[in-house]
Amino acid sequence: MLDLDQILKTFNPGTPNEVRALRGVSLRLERGLFVIIIGTNGSGKSTLLNAVAGTFLVDTGRIALAGQDITRWSEHQRARLVGRVFQNPFSGTAPTMSIAENLSMAALRGRPRGLGWALNARLKGEIRDRIRTLNMGLEDRVDNAIGSLSGGQRQALTLLMATWLKPELLLLDEHTAALDPKSADQVIRLTHEIIQKDRLTTLMVTHSMQQAVNLGDRIVMMHRGQVLHDLQGAERARVRPEDLLARFDQVRRREQLDPAVAELLQRSYV
Amino acid sequence: MSLLIGASTIGLILALLALGVYLSFRIFNFPDITVDGSLTFGAAVTAILLVRHVHPVLATLAGFGAGFVAGALTGILHTKFRIHGLLSGILVMTALYSVNLHVMGKSNLPLLNEKTLATAAEHLAVRLRGGEQDVGILGWSVGLRDLSMLLGAMGLVGAVGGILYAFFCTDLGTAMRATGDNPQMIRALGVSVDFVLILGLALSNGLVALAGSLLAQYQGFADVQMGIGMVVWGLASVIIGEALVGTQRFGFLITGAVMGSVLFRLLVAIALRWGLNPNDLKLITAVFVFVALVAPNLVRRLRTPVPKPNPA
Repeated sequence: MLDLDQILKTFNPGTPNEVRALRGVSLRLERGLFVIIIGTNGSGKSTLLNAVAGTFLVDTGRIALAGQDITRWSEHQRARLVGRVFQNPFSGTAPTMSIAENLSMAALRGRPRGLGWALNARLKGEIRDRIRTLNMGLEDRVDNAIGSLSGGQRQALTLLMATWLKPELLLLDEHTAALDPKSADQVIRLTHEIIQKDRLTTLMVTHSMQQAVNLGDRIVMMHRGQVLHDLQGAERARVRPEDLLARFDQVRRREQLDPAVAELLQRSYV
Repeated sequence: MSLLIGASTIGLILALLALGVYLSFRIFNFPDITVDGSLTFGAAVTAILLVRHVHPVLATLAGFGAGFVAGALTGILHTKFRIHGLLSGILVMTALYSVNLHVMGKSNLPLLNEKTLATAAEHLAVRLRGGEQDVGILGWSVGLRDLSMLLGAMGLVGAVGGILYAFFCTDLGTAMRATGDNPQMIRALGVSVDFVLILGLALSNGLVALAGSLLAQYQGFADVQMGIGMVVWGLASVIIGEALVGTQRFGFLITGAVMGSVLFRLLVAIALRWGLNPNDLKLITAVFVFVALVAPNLVRRLRTPVPKPNPA
């Protein structure tokens, strides 16, 4: 389904700000799989999602999705296959436009847009019906500007927009990280429902070990632009939040050791 | 009375300019200086075609097309060659100055004996009125020529405003509004932001050039200098319009831009009648736009109470 082959990406190459964000990531997802990506700050998990979405083109490596090589596709071309929800609740919707207008645009994700009316009675009715399933009471406010809604409401609508047309791949980039706990719970429950119902192939980045363990068929742990652990099958089924935290600790201890050892060696020998 | 009618007519014609500036400046938040060149470009193309006895409707449409191309060029410079937006506009505007001189062949092209949309409106009115030259309105005697042009401009601007409103309600128009609102979101929904921006700037400058084309036909000449400072003029109209309607809904804002343009032109006409030196007009317009841009922030800052330092 999604096939990442040896993805490399370096930002600002040849400058003091050089960052080797992705160092040869390979990942293969079967159709309908829900994969969670975890990792420390700066491990490259969001960068990986952006590489798949086409925010930038990768330096080397190959990205294939739904049987097509999309490595050189631009971001808006990939949108035909990919639905996205961003970390920032403000990123996924157009604030001065109404709820209905926003959803009408999502109903044409990746399709040509002509001079037909964006909103007709039939589409507006369908929008109301689908918004009702969110249980947020927004179905009576479809003509209100989205900017007047809370972060949780906007994130729920963005999720609805990303999946209005069933995407080949759904990308969720810490989409609950900026929400209060109650809204985050609500959005996570909604995410789970939608992914289950449509059997969506999903890549989700999260900071929450609880989310990682509760959701998803497979957990990928990234570190320094590489895949460190890939928990599947029986190993994935046994894993608890504490186990994941322990693995993070392991990484951290190794990290701490290196500079300390370097310093010790320097002091003794220089 | 004839002064007011003349001012309103020019105000309505320049309302097309205001709509163009609204599109680039408010929808895309793109300060597009191409306007100064494309207004003249539209006037020049229409004028030279009229002198060559092309049908006025075709000549006017060609004027729109000229501006459309100029705007698209600015958009391409900005998106494909990654030149700063302001600089893209300046480059195209500067180039257009020479192009306009070439198109017209000289710096001023009179249209006094040509068939134009203005003379067509007049002929139609004369035929409808059965040869009478003056009309009485509220006890004032008004020249039929002036009145016919006012009504003609009104009809045309109404139609263009309506078309623009309808366009903003289509799938493409909605995507265009969203591009200005949140480019990241509309890209994620599969729209090429570059393409929409190029199309938007083309439309915007097409409208501006249409204003230039009509202005040339109304005043009976095209002049290579006529576009100077027009972007600020359009901006002033848009800002007045926003103050008049006081909402963010684009239907109201389109109407507001038209009303703002007419009101602004009327104010200018009255000020000139009271003895304002015409040389100061652009200075005053610039200062007005400066104040209008700064005032909302200033008022907000004054209203926010300054936190008092704790008495230690």
